[in-house]
Amino acid sequence: MSTYVRHTHLRAAYSVTAAQWRALRAPSLSARFLHQQVASSRDTSSHGGVRHGGVRHGETHKTRLAVKDNIAASGFPTTCASRILVGTSIPFAATVVTQLRRHGMEVVGKAAMDEFGMGTHSTTSAFESVHNAYPLEAYSAGGSSGGSAVAVREGRADIALGTDTGGSVRMPAAYTGIVGFKPSYGMLSRWGVVPYANSLDTVGLLASTVRLVRETIVGLGLYRENDPRDPTSLPDTVRSRCTAEREGYASAGEPPQTLKGLTFGLPLEYNIEELDPRIRQGWLQAIDTIQQLGGRVVPVSLPSTKNALSAYYVIAPAEAASNLAKYDGIRYGYRDTSGSSDAQDGVLYARTRGSGFGDEVKRRILLGSYTLSSEAIDNYFIQAQKVRQLVRRDFDRIFKLENPLLDEQHFALSEMDGSVGIETKLGPAQVDFLVCPTAPTTPPLLEQVRNQTPLDSYTNDIFTVPASLAGLPAISIPMDIPVDPSSEEQKLLHFGGLQLIGQYWDDARVLSIAERLSDHVAKGMARNP
Amino acid sequence: MPHMQPATLSRYLLHGQFISRHCLRTRSRIQVLPVTASPAPLVRYLHTETRESPLNAPAPIHVPLRKQLKDEAKKQKASGKKKKKNADNQVVDGWELTVGIEIHAQLNTAKKLFSGAATSFNDDPNTHVAYFDLATPGSQPIFQKETLVPALRAALALNCEVQPVSRFDRKHYFHWDQPSGYQITQYYEPFARDGRIHLRPRDGIAAEDGEGISIGIKQIQMEQDTAKTLAQPGDVHWIDFNRVGMPLIEIITHPEIHYPATAASFVRKVQALLNAVDACVSGMEAGGLRADVNVSVRRTDEPNAPLGQRTEIKNLSSFKAVEDAVIAERDRQIAVLEAGGTIAGETRGWSIGSTETRRLRGKEGEVDYRYMPDPDVAPLSIGPDLVAHLRDTMGELPDDVVDELTRDFGLSSKDAMSLVLLDGGMRVEYFWTVVSLLQSKLGIDAPEQHKACFLLATNWILHELGRLTAERSDEPAQDMGFSADGECLRVPAQHLADLISHLYKREITAKVAKELLWAVFRGRVPGEYRTVSDAIDGEGLWFKELSADEYAALADTAVRGQEDVLRQFVGAKAFPQGKLMFLVGRMIRLGQEERIDPKSAEGVMRERIEGVYVPAFKTGP
Repeated sequence: MSTYVRHTHLRAAYSVTAAQWRALRAPSLSARFLHQQVASSRDTSSHGGVRHGGVRHGETHKTRLAVKDNIAASGFPTTCASRILVGTSIPFAATVVTQLRRHGMEVVGKAAMDEFGMGTHSTTSAFESVHNAYPLEAYSAGGSSGGSAVAVREGRADIALGTDTGGSVRMPAAYTGIVGFKPSYGMLSRWGVVPYANSLDTVGLLASTVRLVRETIVGLGLYRENDPRDPTSLPDTVRSRCTAEREGYASAGEPPQTLKGLTFGLPLEYNIEELDPRIRQGWLQAIDTIQQLGGRVVPVSLPSTKNALSAYYVIAPAEAASNLAKYDGIRYGYRDTSGSSDAQDGVLYARTRGSGFGDEVKRRILLGSYTLSSEAIDNYFIQAQKVRQLVRRDFDRIFKLENPLLDEQHFALSEMDGSVGIETKLGPAQVDFLVCPTAPTTPPLLEQVRNQTPLDSYTNDIFTVPASLAGLPAISIPMDIPVDPSSEEQKLLHFGGLQLIGQYWDDARVLSIAERLSDHVAKGMARNP
Repeated sequence: MPHMQPATLSRYLLHGQFISRHCLRTRSRIQVLPVTASPAPLVRYLHTETRESPLNAPAPIHVPLRKQLKDEAKKQKASGKKKKKNADNQVVDGWELTVGIEIHAQLNTAKKLFSGAATSFNDDPNTHVAYFDLATPGSQPIFQKETLVPALRAALALNCEVQPVSRFDRKHYFHWDQPSGYQITQYYEPFARDGRIHLRPRDGIAAEDGEGISIGIKQIQMEQDTAKTLAQPGDVHWIDFNRVGMPLIEIITHPEIHYPATAASFVRKVQALLNAVDACVSGMEAGGLRADVNVSVRRTDEPNAPLGQRTEIKNLSSFKAVEDAVIAERDRQIAVLEAGGTIAGETRGWSIGSTETRRLRGKEGEVDYRYMPDPDVAPLSIGPDLVAHLRDTMGELPDDVVDELTRDFGLSSKDAMSLVLLDGGMRVEYFWTVVSLLQSKLGIDAPEQHKACFLLATNWILHELGRLTAERSDEPAQDMGFSADGECLRVPAQHLADLISHLYKREITAKVAKELLWAVFRGRVPGEYRTVSDAIDGEGLWFKELSADEYAALADTAVRGQEDVLRQFVGAKAFPQGKLMFLVGRMIRLGQEERIDPKSAEGVMRERIEGVYVPAFKTGP
């Protein structure tokens, strides 16, 4: 039961209803939902592991969808795991939920998360802490979409919606051994998604197989659907133009058997000191596999990577501080009425916001407020935006495909970092995809997480943040890593996350290649679920 | 964007719950469950310890101009002091005043700036509110491009350069009239820059500015309005979200104004221009325009010194307030400096009728607005074709109209200005309608041949019409109902044109004409009589002037028994005009008033006195 959001008061309600529902003669919608939830959790415990969740054609069961609690779904409250939104229902449904419901999916519950998506281990919720699925209960499930990942991992949902701002879908996927996909920015509508950092937020999908994600995005044609209510949803004309410049959208059939003709980049800057040797080994094994499948692997350089994380932790908190200014308890949500006034010592809303937000949220609001302040904006926010452009430029330079949102760009060799290898007289090698780990380590113990400083957990996002800053599609799939049979812990943690990043709107190919690869890089997952 | 039903909204506002219909059903079934943590109070009042807005002064509750003026008169009477006339108070010797102005004007649009909710003025509270207007989590702004049309017209009327690309930024501060915690505005890259307007003496500039002055406009930006606060007893504020998100433009001048009267005339001119191009909903009198002024002073003997420390006076809601507040703040600053003090950079307030500005907050109370580009709102690209089209279709600006009125119709520039400024430009439109009706009666070249007729029309449109709503204090103030297409609900142009044409041709007397105007105003025409002419027919009001003999006979009747009065004309050093008018008055009272033209009667009486009555005394007994 740990994967679903319950408000403190609702949690008790669930156990009561779970026992009571049979007594109801005409079970209401909510009673049915609760029944299903109870039944599926019993199922899971008897199987004791992941169940294959595919689109069940012709079966009475609809595809079960879990929705992260910062995405509005009618019939459910939306709290963003924050006390300040306790009991709040958003009076409209998120477009992405409506779209999936229209395609026959059924929302089975709201998934727990880090408060407002701020965290790396889904431990900052005001209501509960998420832990990894059996047998890894002592370990972090990753964040911030940890509840979504565990719901899929435990088989309670076939597919789960998460949000990915700096890795919040990919990271939990890597920690729980499932698939997490962050589409290109602007592909899926954010209407009804409570913003953390608007310019980075994307709705992402989690599932146990790449195929299910691909069937949803490409097969159901979600990539085609503009939402006029989301000003950042890519307009129809641009969608068609981008799609016309890409392969893989026309046929949602089988992925190619070989990787012949494809070049994979190995970003040198990602081979960091903090990288867990087993993850590094897994990464190298994956590269071998790619080569065996006919793909070509070349080292590439993304020199801005080292600044990307800092830029992210300036931009995201700045936007968050702005977005979270609306929570004042006046119109909805939690309101601290312990004083006689909404102002405390003359500061409006201080009491409500002081007791309504958790520590991590407050930390980022302060951080963001500072970096936007007139004394700091030039040194922080503006610099971070410049770094963001450099990160995007790094990607645009190494990908064979051009960025369809920008005019043709020219990259002078002189402005490249000296570490970039020159392949031909035309310059460095250009690639179709980047391949790298999702997270530098296997999931840490929750106990360790509790003792970490915020900075420690920020560094976990180092491999996921660059794609977010550039708005690129990226997927995390499980990969085998070497296991020392004498170590019980290593036997439990026998997988890592392998990340594949593509050029903007190359989502269909990213999914298709990831689907082909996933059969080969995670053989251990099938053997040892 | 879906509009919210009032019922949904009130549930949301009063119970803090925002429930879709679908959800409501679900909720009602599980109501037996303990789903509510604590019983929500029925009404969420906003409580605050600080009476003054802690951050940004809220827009003041709008007080009608008439009441403002009354209050001011009362205050002045109470203080027993007579204020120095502003015209004589434009300069303080040894000091130079510098003023910069920021004007906020509500744009004339059907929708809000970032939501499809309708704009409204006096509708029921909280009936025009979209999800985004309330900062509902998960809702997003959609720029309503129609709002650009009036904004661009304003920019063109103020001779600004429209920027091909502009952007929207968030300005952060906490206040209950700002649900999202920030206002979307154009801080870094506004849509219009580098404007200029020219002020002439007839605009009411200070005499010291001579034949005219040109004031530079730094920029114009589009931004959201805030919600309306309705203060209730007991530190409770009611909030009307109808106004939140309505589109405003903010016009910012360079500090190039040096006289209080010029500051007021600038604001008046901006209002006239905005009205003329239909960019603005209403003028200052109706609360559609607010001005903030930045005031500083420096000694004139240090011409190279930088400008003095400025203070800002916020939320001035009338032209007079602009002038008075600038004078008061100038005098305060000079007094402080002459006493050896320094001016603190602070925000000050002004209430109509007072003699001093008051401190609202100092520098330490200044908010760091933490401007950030809005990541949800795309940059605004304005094509040159749109700008060109709006420029071509903009219509005549007030200055051109005033020129035409003085040149072609012989109006004084004062009357011409009044005509152009009254009723947000609708009065002059009405004038044009009446003019074209008169032209169809008198001929197309009438303005030249019948100048007097058009002066008569101006006079009636400016003054007699005004009397209808002003004169009778026992009747509630009534709206004339001028419309933008040059009509008037209470006095349709056709009736006024008929009336003026009859009066001009001396077919009715002025007194009858005035009565007829009231009849039109009260709806008797066309209620009882189809036209003004029918009314004159029906009531027998045609002016059939007495013949010369009849006038003479009437004069004879009038002087009967008035020998004492007549005797005073004999050998008088100065002609006793008063006595003459007394006798004329008797003529009108004794005769058939509707057949007497006072001018003719006066002529006859004078003739009879000089030719008949006075000689009779001399030769008499």
